[in-house]
Amino acid sequence: MASPALWQRYITASALASTSRNVTRTFTTTSAVAMARQRPGASKPTVARVPGLDHPGTLHNLSEIHPLLDHYPRKTDQDGNLDLETPKLWASAPPLDNMLKNQADDDVDEASLPHGLTKDDLKKFLKRALVVKRTSNMTTAGKIPSMYALVVVGNGQGIAGYGEGKDDEVARAVRKATNRAMRNLTAFERYDDRTIYHDIDHKFHATNIQFRSRPPGFGNRCNHYIHEICSCIGILDISAKVWGSRNPMNVIKATFEALSLKQKLPEDIARGRGKRVVDVQHTYYGANE
Amino acid sequence: MPRHYDLCARVQNGFAARLRRIAVPDTKMNLAISNVLYKEGFIAGVSRGDHVQPDTTYVPTTPDNIATRRLWLELKYNNDEPVLKKMSAVSKPSKKIVMKVEELQNLAAGNRAQFIKGLQPGEIAILTTNYGVLELRDALEKGAGGELLCRAI
Repeated sequence: MASPALWQRYITASALASTSRNVTRTFTTTSAVAMARQRPGASKPTVARVPGLDHPGTLHNLSEIHPLLDHYPRKTDQDGNLDLETPKLWASAPPLDNMLKNQADDDVDEASLPHGLTKDDLKKFLKRALVVKRTSNMTTAGKIPSMYALVVVGNGQGIAGYGEGKDDEVARAVRKATNRAMRNLTAFERYDDRTIYHDIDHKFHATNIQFRSRPPGFGNRCNHYIHEICSCIGILDISAKVWGSRNPMNVIKATFEALSLKQKLPEDIARGRGKRVVDVQHTYYGANE
Repeated sequence: MPRHYDLCARVQNGFAARLRRIAVPDTKMNLAISNVLYKEGFIAGVSRGDHVQPDTTYVPTTPDNIATRRLWLELKYNNDEPVLKKMSAVSKPSKKIVMKVEELQNLAAGNRAQFIKGLQPGEIAILTTNYGVLELRDALEKGAGGELLCRAI
């Protein structure tokens, strides 16, 4: 793996090279103009039409060294003249590591994370590889096996996500899935930071799940996949029952869908109905005091 | 004589179809339930009219126009979502549900009573009592039980 200093040198060199390469040199225009004047039978000098450089006023004075057009990191004489004879060696592209070829999905881009999260926060996230399966792709050449992983990631404070990954090796598949999970984080609403706001019924494919909000101290008494997801999200008291298909992938996807889409906050209900809402438990019974 | 589940179906379907207002049969029971929905903030208004549109001025109900009389309910939407998602009948002709005050208190607390699930946050229950058609919490204030007509969320 190339050292960070080497990477930095490659990045700045390639940036410099691109700026110099993208500039259109105007000496070609002047030579064409000169050639046109010398051509016999020509009524008008044909000037190469370069967009932006048609108007004479925009032409730079080429006898002077321009700070942008003539920016070459080259050695100058004692007089200050550029040495244009010795060819410049452009920095080559960094060598392609064998490890880079097989690296499982790029590391998480901090720009794709929800607002306020940094890569350091991600290190403290809970990661649970809930489903690891061996799949096979049937081709004319035979069965091509590959490993599939579904990883759930969460901070235990209301942010969680899941990702799926496939690769020949389990570890790489899990790493791909984890990176995808980090990219697909969503925030979940929790009442009192411990349970859902109300009972939820959700159907996803053939999986029907019934979630029930429960009082403090109850615990997560539910399907083991839902249990892990709730601990990643930070739901402490919930009861759930899975009806129909209990396929693990679909149970996990159903849970994420239900808890993120189907919760209605009391404030939104009150706003729709035009009523004031008061949390009786906190205002009258003094919860959390 | 349309029963209360007819109103439940019309209101629920009207909201699902994103209609501005719906016309329901003009009966005392429909008017009473619509009034409860209006007071709870599920609908924007209740008015009388004919089968085409609500009345702009007062039109008395006579034997000549009784067939055209309708109740018009103005529906409400907030944040691109209907305010009333589901309205279902609880007591049906096949199984009548009549509740006492203790059972109603259980329902209001979110607990089950008589095979009827407790109320969720934002849910109301409408019942007929000796004091008239009331919402569940208003009936509890008056200390009255009765037949649980429908629930709306």
